[in-house]
Amino acid sequence: MKKVMRTIKYLMLLLLLIAGGCKNDAKKDKPKKIAVIVSTLNNPWFVFLAETAVKEATGMGYEARIFDSQNNTAIETEHFENAIVSGFDAILFNPTDAEGSVSNVGKAKVAGIPVFCMDREVNKTGIATSQILSDSYSGCVTIAKYFVQANNKKGKYVELLGLVGDNNTWNRSKGFHSVVDNYPGLKMVAQQSADFDRNKALEVMESILTANPDIDAVFCGNDAMAMGAYQALVAAGKDANVKVFGFDGADDVVDAIKEGKIMATGMQFPEVMAQTAAKYADEYLKGKRDFPEKMPVAVEIVTKANVDNYLAYGKK
Amino acid sequence: MLAMVQKFFKYLFLLFLLFVIGYNSIYFKKLDEVNAASVSKKFDAKNYAAGYFQKLLPVLQQSVDINSLHGLLHSDPSKAFDTYSHGLGIGNIKYFLTQGKGKVISIEESSMLLMVNDSSNLNIRIATEFVYGNAIRDAGGIINLKDFTSTSDLNDVSAEINKKIRNEVLPTFLKQVKTGDMVAFAGAIELNRQHPDMKQMELVPVTINGIY
Repeated sequence: MKKVMRTIKYLMLLLLLIAGGCKNDAKKDKPKKIAVIVSTLNNPWFVFLAETAVKEATGMGYEARIFDSQNNTAIETEHFENAIVSGFDAILFNPTDAEGSVSNVGKAKVAGIPVFCMDREVNKTGIATSQILSDSYSGCVTIAKYFVQANNKKGKYVELLGLVGDNNTWNRSKGFHSVVDNYPGLKMVAQQSADFDRNKALEVMESILTANPDIDAVFCGNDAMAMGAYQALVAAGKDANVKVFGFDGADDVVDAIKEGKIMATGMQFPEVMAQTAAKYADEYLKGKRDFPEKMPVAVEIVTKANVDNYLAYGKK
Repeated sequence: MLAMVQKFFKYLFLLFLLFVIGYNSIYFKKLDEVNAASVSKKFDAKNYAAGYFQKLLPVLQQSVDINSLHGLLHSDPSKAFDTYSHGLGIGNIKYFLTQGKGKVISIEESSMLLMVNDSSNLNIRIATEFVYGNAIRDAGGIINLKDFTSTSDLNDVSAEINKKIRNEVLPTFLKQVKTGDMVAFAGAIELNRQHPDMKQMELVPVTINGIY
């Protein structure tokens, strides 16, 4: 009887081992999964970034899925928890908030999932595997040089800032002021946030124009705001006298530069950022561990003189 | 009675435990000391820039001659970029370290035009006012991106390098120079690899001196 029981025991163990082996084989056969967690899909720029990341990851043989954080860190947290529980192997991440997103990246790190930030950074080093970011500061230094020259070093101007919690807002503003502030003839009469939003920029600009009807230029932290500001200037009949500068390389602004409505923008390359993030994730999953903490992606100035070289979002 | 003694020791032990945890959880430091510690940890971009100049000068002396670089950019741009350009980030913007001599043709508000020696038609524009950006920081190819965890520190390095050129190198030179003078220069040029616009090429000087 004992012998029979022992045999049954061994048989059961063998079955368990076989079952375990089958499960492992099933996992081995399944492609690894990459989560693309993006701040918002309500802005075509981020849609392009996320879709390119998915396309790249899928092209490398991974299963990829987009999660929309709707500019809300609480939703972003849910996505991270979901990605961790669902067994995603890497996260390509566009954060909603440089500070607020830190804990989410930290959770992924604890769970052993590498995170590659795209375009926006988190304010803590050593938690994301690498952060691939537009060199917003240097891009705005270049725009600022052009701004000073286009305004003959004098005049009144307005600055529209993006989301105050986003590092890109301040990197762009700091880069711009690192040049413009050396010219005392250029006076900033208003500096307000319009949250990177076109409609908000329109409202903010209308209000600024009431108090400052004699401005010469507007520097905007992104192209959506540049278009909103331009719309307000058209409504006020001042579009011919006020020079508008943006940042991003959105399609409507590239067209507006061609038509002479907008002076310049900083062309970002979301395709390059998404491709690099996917490439780094692939290298990580194949064993590489040595990545730069921050990898800047050059921003190129687009003006009427060189606009024919560019398509929206740096597409070729 | 025994139960009471046991209870007493139990509470005494709990109190002791709470004291130990509390004592080790909370500590006080002077705010000045904390602030001083955070300041001392801050990256010193000015000091780094000064050190960078010392490292850059020998590299600058070995840099490609402007005539050779210009010729190669025309005949084989890919080879010119692969051989001589650097850039810390990803993308089309690249920087060249170069040197040469030339005759001052014109002095304008924010730049001057030189006719480069030993060349029949090569003119080079030297920036004398708008010295901003990453040209000098990146052109040497001697900074390792992995040494920096903060992009802000990298930006500060560029700002300090450029400030030194604007405040120390250029004012002395601009006081003396006049049209027709011969000038020796060494510095950095920015070019877009995908759309190199040679006509808009401008050199940001690191060293520039009249030859009298």
